[in-house]
Amino acid sequence: MILQVDHIEKSFGEKQVLKDVTFAAEGGQAFGLLGRNGAGKTTTIRIIMDVFAPDHGKILLDHEPIRYGEVSFGYLPEERGLYPKKKIFDQLVYFAQLKGMEKTAAGRSVDAWLERLEMSEYRDKKLDTLSKGNQQKIQLITALAHDPQIVILDEPFSGLDPVNAMLLKGVVKETIAKGKIVLFSSHQMNYIEEFCDGIAIINGGKVVLTGGLNEIRRAYPRNRLVIRSEANAQILQAFGKDAAYGEDGEVILTLPEPEAKNAVMQKLTQEYDIDEIRVAEPSLNDIFVEYTREQI
Amino acid sequence: MIMDQFGKILKFELKNYFASKAFVGVTLFMVVAIVAVMFFPRITEAFDQGEQEDAETEEMSSAEDSGIMLIKAEEQETADGIAQAFTAAFSDYEVQVTQEDLGQIKERIKEGDAACAFVFDDATNYTYYVDNLSMYDENTAIADEVLQNLYRINAMVATGMSAEQAGAVMNMPINGKTESFGKDQMQNFFYTYIMIFALYMVILLYGQMVTMNVATEKSSRAMELLITSAKPTAMMFGKVLASCIAGLLQLLLIFGSAVVCFRVNASYWDGNGLIASIFDIPVELLVYMLVFFLLGFLIYAFLFGAIGSTVSKLEEVNTAVTPLTFLFIIAFLVVVFSMSSGNVDNLAVKVCSFIPFTSPMAMFTRITMSTVPWYEIAISIAVLIASTVGIGILSAKIYRAGVLMYGTPPKFTTLIKAAWKA
Repeated sequence: MILQVDHIEKSFGEKQVLKDVTFAAEGGQAFGLLGRNGAGKTTTIRIIMDVFAPDHGKILLDHEPIRYGEVSFGYLPEERGLYPKKKIFDQLVYFAQLKGMEKTAAGRSVDAWLERLEMSEYRDKKLDTLSKGNQQKIQLITALAHDPQIVILDEPFSGLDPVNAMLLKGVVKETIAKGKIVLFSSHQMNYIEEFCDGIAIINGGKVVLTGGLNEIRRAYPRNRLVIRSEANAQILQAFGKDAAYGEDGEVILTLPEPEAKNAVMQKLTQEYDIDEIRVAEPSLNDIFVEYTREQI
Repeated sequence: MIMDQFGKILKFELKNYFASKAFVGVTLFMVVAIVAVMFFPRITEAFDQGEQEDAETEEMSSAEDSGIMLIKAEEQETADGIAQAFTAAFSDYEVQVTQEDLGQIKERIKEGDAACAFVFDDATNYTYYVDNLSMYDENTAIADEVLQNLYRINAMVATGMSAEQAGAVMNMPINGKTESFGKDQMQNFFYTYIMIFALYMVILLYGQMVTMNVATEKSSRAMELLITSAKPTAMMFGKVLASCIAGLLQLLLIFGSAVVCFRVNASYWDGNGLIASIFDIPVELLVYMLVFFLLGFLIYAFLFGAIGSTVSKLEEVNTAVTPLTFLFIIAFLVVVFSMSSGNVDNLAVKVCSFIPFTSPMAMFTRITMSTVPWYEIAISIAVLIASTVGIGILSAKIYRAGVLMYGTPPKFTTLIKAAWKA
């Protein structure tokens, strides 16, 4: 299963919000949709889910124009909110029903999810009696209870304590393992790095970078080494102007000849007591900042 | 898919109404009140039977329960003649001829010993004395008529007629009958008024509820999820129809209990033409009532729903619905004023009876209180149905465009443009 966003354009009034947005997300993988605030992520998501029609371009599923009647989406919106005064079980069943489930099946699924997320005790409580983190877990159920093919999670980890974050990580991994398309949108880069194989960075309504995260990283020049050692000072001295301290006290060695990388690493481990040595790769954070520093 | 969602939304929203304490409370209260009113004559009669003996003695005195009316004239003969005529005319007063002077008479009235007094200079000139002049005091008007008749009879007797002949001339009974080919306005007035008023109440009440319902979903951001879960058309129609069913059911319970109680107590209401006329609605009018009620309710509820989708905060709801509420109140007033004036076929009502927002009230009033050609009714209903469907679809589009606009309420033109695109 592959979901393709194909040359999407969208304007609201005079303002063009999306300019030729194109990327593809595959089933069994998580795809990260990144961008600064107001970059057009939510609009892209809404177009994918047929809330708005695009002005140009189309959404393809398995290379065919998507047929919305036959595809089911699960969505965790960034702006959370359900019915505050309704019983949790009742509204979860209602939302699952709206997604096409029968009432009894919906009830069974909701109960299973409440159990899975350790929320069964709140089943018959009103939503507004719950804490924010727990409300978020309830909202997550609305995205998953109907077993959708495509799951879109907008900032799923914000507001969760570490234990709940662990719980959610497990759920996300299961969902990916079931072969579903999982679309992530988040500003917490560590989660994107942990889950996502592919990413798209949107800036000012344009996709400025898209592809597999590993390929993107590998595309950066691999001419720098990160070294941690007790003998930092000696290494610094030995390499002269090619070596410098990094932010956390590590030594960053820039190689004049990148092809000599392995030889240099071998030499270093022989001569000094090395704790860690690796090729410096840019973090997703670095890449994100690099591509979105200037709002287009 | 849409129909399936529509059904689920309708069920969910209906359940909300029936689970709401306000809905159940108001309905119960109204039903109990209606039952109490309808059983009132039976209950009072049961009490009256227990106190029948007292009632009889009361009846005796009740003939003169308005008090003593004093008559004073210079000549005893004039005073007696007038007193005799007044005794017949003022059956609820005890008419007494008095010789007291004016000061004493005034004193008696002030003290409440006598209710009022007529002091005559001659047979055609008098002064009426009373303590508090009631708004509804018709004594002088009655007295004037009695005195006029008395004067005429005396004049006729003076020309040689006998008193009996003169009396017969004055009291010649006239027999007249009325045959109406159209509607009896008097008979239809009350249930027309009740229907119009019920429509008015229900639309304002439920309209606001629909607005609040949509605005709450928007402000709680449940909308973010709803809009991606269900089609806006299904949402809008589901919500509006649920409110319509809830409203109709509430009315049905209230009026239904009224009808049942009336049937049970019909014999106790025998003498009351007004109440009987309300429960004597021809089936044909009942059908019209249902049609106009349904369509009128729907067209406004759709608009109220659309308005709800344009506000971001609940506090803005009242301001946002004001223009629509005004439009509706004006329509209501035009119809009600025309009804009370008795001329329901005036130009304003005629025009209103074809405009979809006013026709449910205006056309229904014309049908019940006047004679309207069938094609006018057909045109009015056709226009109304077409506009209801049109407004329904438009409001679903406004809803779709409006629910995701947060911040300041959008300008009307922006909204229409967005709705057009949606």
